[in-house]
Amino acid sequence: MKNRFRIIGLVAIAVLAVGTLSACSSANTLIISSDLPLQGSSFDSNDSTNKAIALYLKQINYKAGKYTVKFKIYDDATASAGSWDPAKCTSNAQAHVANKDEVAVMGTYNSGCAKVEIPILNQAPGGAMTMVSNANTNPGLTKPWNPGEPAVYYPTGVRNYARVCTTDDNQGAAAAQFAKSIGVKSVYVLNDTQTYGQGVAQAFTTEAKKQGLIVLSSGPFGEGWDAKQPDYTALFTKIKALNPDMIYVGGIFDNNGGQLMKDKVAVLGNNTAVKFMAPDGFTGYPAFSSMPEATGAYLSFAGLSSDLLTKIAPTGAGARFVTSYIAEYGKPPVGSYPVYGVAAVQVILAAIAKSDGTRKGVTDAIFSGSGITIPANESVLGKSLKIDPKSGDTNAIDITIEVIKGGKETTLTAWALK
Amino acid sequence: MSITKKTDSKSRRPKAVKQSASQRKWAIGFIVAAVAIWVFYTYIMVHLPDGAQTIVQNWFPPTALNEAMVWVIAALGLNIVVGYAGLLDLGFVAFWAIGGYTAGWFMSSFFRQVNIHILSTSPKVVPGMHISFWGVIFIGGLICAFFGLIIGAPTLRLKSDYLALVTLGFGEIIPQFFVNGSNIGGFNLTNGTQGISPVDNIGVPGRSLSPFDFSWKFFIFVLLTAFMVFMSLRLRTGRLGRAWLAIREDELAASMMGVPLMRTKLSAYAVGAFSGGVGGVAYATHVGGVFADRFNFSISIILLAMVVLGGMGNVWGVMVGALLLAWINSTGLPAFGDLVNNTFHTTINFPSYNFLLFGGALVLMMLFRREGLIPESRLKAILHEDDESAPEIGGAE
Repeated sequence: MKNRFRIIGLVAIAVLAVGTLSACSSANTLIISSDLPLQGSSFDSNDSTNKAIALYLKQINYKAGKYTVKFKIYDDATASAGSWDPAKCTSNAQAHVANKDEVAVMGTYNSGCAKVEIPILNQAPGGAMTMVSNANTNPGLTKPWNPGEPAVYYPTGVRNYARVCTTDDNQGAAAAQFAKSIGVKSVYVLNDTQTYGQGVAQAFTTEAKKQGLIVLSSGPFGEGWDAKQPDYTALFTKIKALNPDMIYVGGIFDNNGGQLMKDKVAVLGNNTAVKFMAPDGFTGYPAFSSMPEATGAYLSFAGLSSDLLTKIAPTGAGARFVTSYIAEYGKPPVGSYPVYGVAAVQVILAAIAKSDGTRKGVTDAIFSGSGITIPANESVLGKSLKIDPKSGDTNAIDITIEVIKGGKETTLTAWALK
Repeated sequence: MSITKKTDSKSRRPKAVKQSASQRKWAIGFIVAAVAIWVFYTYIMVHLPDGAQTIVQNWFPPTALNEAMVWVIAALGLNIVVGYAGLLDLGFVAFWAIGGYTAGWFMSSFFRQVNIHILSTSPKVVPGMHISFWGVIFIGGLICAFFGLIIGAPTLRLKSDYLALVTLGFGEIIPQFFVNGSNIGGFNLTNGTQGISPVDNIGVPGRSLSPFDFSWKFFIFVLLTAFMVFMSLRLRTGRLGRAWLAIREDELAASMMGVPLMRTKLSAYAVGAFSGGVGGVAYATHVGGVFADRFNFSISIILLAMVVLGGMGNVWGVMVGALLLAWINSTGLPAFGDLVNNTFHTTINFPSYNFLLFGGALVLMMLFRREGLIPESRLKAILHEDDESAPEIGGAE
């Protein structure tokens, strides 16, 4: 018993000693953090985002106005879940608030995780804490979508969430406009019966009708395909009778998209005869792009891909940043989200520079008055980036259109939404 | 078999006394630890120097502690099914999910078509069903117990491996139901993969607990855990509990002695499911939402690992196992990884070795300490039967 007390005493002394040693931080040093899943299939992209942010902060010498900024990485995935974990999101959100020097968060990657974290950060004692996401595409986080959204995520009534990427509804709309531009007259819409797929398909259908295309499928988001079906010959035979110019598929490739693609080509012919288009739920899958049947399929993507950034404005801040990233790490950033991560950090830094160095100051800088604008010559997105202080949405609603060529996704064009 | 005979004839009385004394020691230990932790986080932590606070935040954040308590509640439920009654259940996540969704339904604005408020923390103007956490806990537990009976009734006629497979199936089906339940004849029951969020705060008389009221939540979770422990221990010593143990050790012999197999097994399943449901409700309020595709197989496996690692059948062992694994999973490994990476300037992704660690730990446990960290005395006796009285057994058989 005596021994045990002695050990407890020693531990207590050690903890206190370490505590006093490291209890020195200057008032002008603020912490910004990233909150991304660093386990599972999205690791590469998010690790690249963290590297990009670290590199960017080094380039600007860790300065935001008169403040020095430190960068802290949080992981919102657990190994046991293999991807983002709601409990981890909760504990991260609480940790952001508990960490006194932390003023704003760059994240999250998954919209579901954002739905957990926003209300918690929103209720932070002493004022809502800001989060700026580089990758959440669910519309309901910032604008009316499902019943009650977005108000349910902001219990105190104050906004504290912004994003630099565009939303699923814009992606569907851009796809419809693009379809019209390549001469499509009639279209048949399919969806994978999941939220994301239906959302994109619905946005596509609405915009297609507005653009004067004939939508042959019925219902607000077209016909659902059952991911568990062994084949879709019957489905496409039915569609063949209607003779559409294009098939639009709202959904993700994981939901038996390969079989769907095969049967589409088998029944309706290749993708020049009857065009095939899908949202970013089909991008980033080598298994899809390497299918011979996928040749000529169009894909849309929320945001600008890194190679497009360097192509559009080869001397702009975005291209320069991508070049410096390659110089630093020996390979380009994975996907387009890393560059958007830096764009989100630019928003946070601009807000810090405008603020009094408190959380509330940062939140007010983004969500009151004229909000935050990153001028074109500084923005890594290659063009001016403005955050709407009312909704937290961005004006940079760029959509990249890709086409499958030679077994690879190749960038076709950047689509500016009309 | 000789063990049961021995304890029955010679040392029944003293052993029972000894056991209850040891239980009392553990119970007092539990209360002391809980109070000490509560006092530390409520009163001492805020006065620590900044550096020490950071260390505590990095290694033992209060929220991780609360999450671990949620795991403990569910693991205690699984302990009744696996540890007491010996029914291998690989689909316990199903009850966790049902409990979570009960909280999602009755404690959020999800059903906007109605406006029901019963002692809830949410303002009256907010539409949806808002029932007090204390009520929902029981509703969640009872719904799970009910589903435990429904699922159990056809499956419990199976034995060991076959039962494990069927429970595995149910553990997959029920979360899948929640994934697909966004359109049941036009009715949105589960909101699909979008999940239901946010869930109302827990209310205690006079206030609503914000996501930052860790001490209060800890207190509530400890209370629930204490209730589960009390229930487990009382049931175990009772008629039902002894019937469970008899079934665990030898089903055939138990039924020969007049233990109604079906009813006894079903009650184990229902009681376990009740705890799983309470755990699910606690989880949903801790997280602030439920998401269908997050209720995956790995949760069942981790719960099972907690029970096996801690000591099947011993509530204190299971509690220690659950706290340990939950902490490693949520905080321990990442914090340790940060420490190593910062010290040696490496970039090893420690959390990705989580399952390797679990697996390795379990293999080592099976080799050297089959009965778990804090074994149940009875199980220990059985597993070490050979070491103690091998010749006698040999003769008997």
